[in-house]
Amino acid sequence: MSDSGNKTGKLVMVSRATQVKEAALATLFFICAFVAVLAVFLIFAFVAWKASPLFSQIGLWDFLTGTQWSVEDNIYGIVPFLLGSLIVTAGALIIGAPLAVLTSVFLSEIAKPRVRNIIRPAVELLAGIPSVVYGFFGVVVVAPLVARAGGGAGFGPLTGWIILSIMIVPTIATLSEDALKSIPMGIREASFAMGATQWQTIYKVVLPAAKIGIIDAVILGMGRAIGETMAVLMVVGNAPQLFAGINAPISTLTSQIVLGMSYSSGLHRTALFGMAAILFLISMALVLTVRLMARDQKRKTKKKDKRL
Amino acid sequence: MSPVTPKTGMDVLREKKLARKGGLGREHAANKIALAILWLAAGITVAALAVILIYVIVRGIGVISPSFIFTWPHGVNSEGGIWPTIVSTLYCTLLSMLFTTPIAILAAVYLAEYAKQGRVVRIIRFAADSLASVPSIVMGLFGLTFFVEAMHIPMSMLSAAMALTLLMLPIVMRTTEEAIRAVPRYIRWGSYGLGATKWQTVSRVVLPTAMPRIITGLVLALGRAIGETAVVFYTMGLAINLPLLPTESGRSMAVHLYLMAVEGINLPAAYGTAFLLMVIILALNMGARWIAKRYHRRMETKK
Amino acid sequence: MHRIGTRSGTRPPFRPGTRLRALCHARHARLSPCVAAGLLVLILGASCVLVAGCSGDKRHVDSITVSGSTTILPIAEQAAEDFQKQHADTSILVSGMGSSAGIEAVGVTHTADIGTTSRELKDDETQLDLDMIPIANDGIAVIVHPDNPINGLSTNEIRQIFAGRITNWSQVGGADIPITLINRDEASGTRDAFATTIMQNAPFEIDAVVLPGTGQVREVVTRTPGAIGYISVGFVAPRFVDTPVKALIVDGIEPTEENIATGRYPLSRKLYFLMPKHPSILAEQYLQYVLSSEVQEGAVRDAGFLPVISGNLNLPTGSTSQSSGDK
Repeated sequence: MSDSGNKTGKLVMVSRATQVKEAALATLFFICAFVAVLAVFLIFAFVAWKASPLFSQIGLWDFLTGTQWSVEDNIYGIVPFLLGSLIVTAGALIIGAPLAVLTSVFLSEIAKPRVRNIIRPAVELLAGIPSVVYGFFGVVVVAPLVARAGGGAGFGPLTGWIILSIMIVPTIATLSEDALKSIPMGIREASFAMGATQWQTIYKVVLPAAKIGIIDAVILGMGRAIGETMAVLMVVGNAPQLFAGINAPISTLTSQIVLGMSYSSGLHRTALFGMAAILFLISMALVLTVRLMARDQKRKTKKKDKRL
Repeated sequence: MSPVTPKTGMDVLREKKLARKGGLGREHAANKIALAILWLAAGITVAALAVILIYVIVRGIGVISPSFIFTWPHGVNSEGGIWPTIVSTLYCTLLSMLFTTPIAILAAVYLAEYAKQGRVVRIIRFAADSLASVPSIVMGLFGLTFFVEAMHIPMSMLSAAMALTLLMLPIVMRTTEEAIRAVPRYIRWGSYGLGATKWQTVSRVVLPTAMPRIITGLVLALGRAIGETAVVFYTMGLAINLPLLPTESGRSMAVHLYLMAVEGINLPAAYGTAFLLMVIILALNMGARWIAKRYHRRMETKK
Repeated sequence: MHRIGTRSGTRPPFRPGTRLRALCHARHARLSPCVAAGLLVLILGASCVLVAGCSGDKRHVDSITVSGSTTILPIAEQAAEDFQKQHADTSILVSGMGSSAGIEAVGVTHTADIGTTSRELKDDETQLDLDMIPIANDGIAVIVHPDNPINGLSTNEIRQIFAGRITNWSQVGGADIPITLINRDEASGTRDAFATTIMQNAPFEIDAVVLPGTGQVREVVTRTPGAIGYISVGFVAPRFVDTPVKALIVDGIEPTEENIATGRYPLSRKLYFLMPKHPSILAEQYLQYVLSSEVQEGAVRDAGFLPVISGNLNLPTGSTSQSSGDK
């Protein structure tokens, strides 16, 4: 990518003042761009700082491996919430990811423009619905249905899975569709020319080619699911216990932070910030994974190009 | 938009030929089943949206009236309207838009036009991606500790707007950068060829050309900010108040809906709030879509 | 728009000529950054003027902050709203962050003029030198599904149930249905009161569903046959909902208004305003208003609570009748 801009600037005769102005503007732009870096750094610094007494007062090991959470007794083990977040996220992915990927395949490979023009906006609107509306819907519609089907009060992983899987579909579907769209048309044509059916082309040619992009999409959807707060808080039942069945209440990192924050103080607050720091690190790790996978992919294609 | 789907008429022909040849019946059946599954998946996705939309509309539309929109809530169970929450919501999101727009656009200009691809750009991009994926509750806690506790700005429109800026920034940065990159290279060459400096090229040629797409991105980010709950919860507070000063507290529609939904004594008000919230966000989405479409059509006719 | 572009284009090397404009596809949609920047400055300027104007107006407004218990939030909010209608130029900001936060706000950080609490003060909090004024009575009703044949339980049975030692309704003489426990979140003042009076601080069973609001508890109990939960008495049959729940008789005493006011019903408590020894005039006026019959019979009842008996008040000055003569 050689943008002619840089060179042109040198070729044209410009006054000193203009040069200074241009440089000043470039610096301003850089500062604006750096706001993002600063923000991420500040967020981590502040959350970590608020969580730091944790090391001396609870102990990182006890915090991460303790299975008991009791504010009254000042015992803060977050295994129930880690596990809760994991269960809720995993279930939402198992339901939501295939649905989203299939939808994206449908959009990019099968749908005629007329159908696509209905479904794609629908998927995007789904992404626009605020999470508190999803939560509300979960409370007044899904939870009673789950309760009728499985007994209990209807709050627990199952309700969480249903709501959360609907919520992550748009995230995954749009990203995965982007990945599918970036596959050159020629690959598909070659496959059809060899007599493959449409499904064979999708399954054996298009999907493998777009694999990395689709996995990225799923990982980012996972990030969305882990970090989701209000909707989850409203439907999982928030009991600080280990998994006891798909219809028994559990609690997640996010929901526990919201429930505790309004009245927390001292060590309890420290523990909540510790949980926030862990959420932050998880989301960073997911972004990093996507990054590394993309880089890996680039390297591989480069090698292939060389061989050719 | 380039046609992505293969010509379906051709496909049908090809399938028929294959089927007639015999021996490929199984592939043909598998194809049929697989396609049916794909249709089903897309159908489920659309159905989920339809169910939620219809439910909220059916339960909420009866509550909506001018008095619901334009009067204050009164009584302990929030009878009456939700006017202060609408104002609070729009106030703080527009304020955050005011912060976000210049920073995000200039940052995107830097990434797309000025920066040399290298370590610094990689770090900035990684930071933007990370910022976009920071869970909203973490953002809320940060807003509480940084803006409210450390900087001593009270829980207010201003604090909420700044926290929301962090939320919107990466979204707007990304859409703006894409919009700038989508501006054809030769337009720039033309500008440079006429002796324009870089900033002149960017400000009078590139940005105006990219503007419709930038606005689309902004509007979408605005929709996201309006529906945000956790961030606003910890930075704006819960007081029902009609804000005038940016340092005043308030309660956003999303927070109001949350409180109504869990307190649940006055469910009609919750349905009404959910309905209005959805209407505003859908309107913004449709608006963004309309801008993009109009721009697209003009582009087409120009060609 | 176009003119501005040309004018500013007279600077040294750049002259947006016709050729360039022809190159620009989206000419129609051009919004010059100069114009955009101008607009931005305009908006900012306008908002500054607006802000300045408003702050000018606001200078004479007396303002107090009330914060604390979410239980008391609805009463305080409603009273504040009506109070502000009657007294122009006053501003009462009410927020609910939990009793502990309210006590801290008025006693420690002094960010609030009045703190509200639905629980008694803890040892270290009693040393904060605050006046504690009861503003309402509250009884907590233990609620079950209307079809549940059980009509009453003893305090001990309720404790056993919420501690997870009794898990089926048949163990207390009911039908053979597993008990679904509905608990409140730990920030809730209602949970706190329930924990002190019924549980006597024995731990709650942790597999209970924890819900963050009264309404949700009520709604879930209404639709779940085996459920048991607890809410303020006033929400057992509020006028907004027609779905029924059944409030249990506890230790043989019905949760009637009289039994709660006298404290005979085991799950009775009082709601308090906390004020510094020398409150501002406005804070004092507001308190008087809250204690007036207008609020006591209005907002207090609407919020699901019961009026305090005025004889019990240890008010620093004045009486309730004085404030009602005020307006």
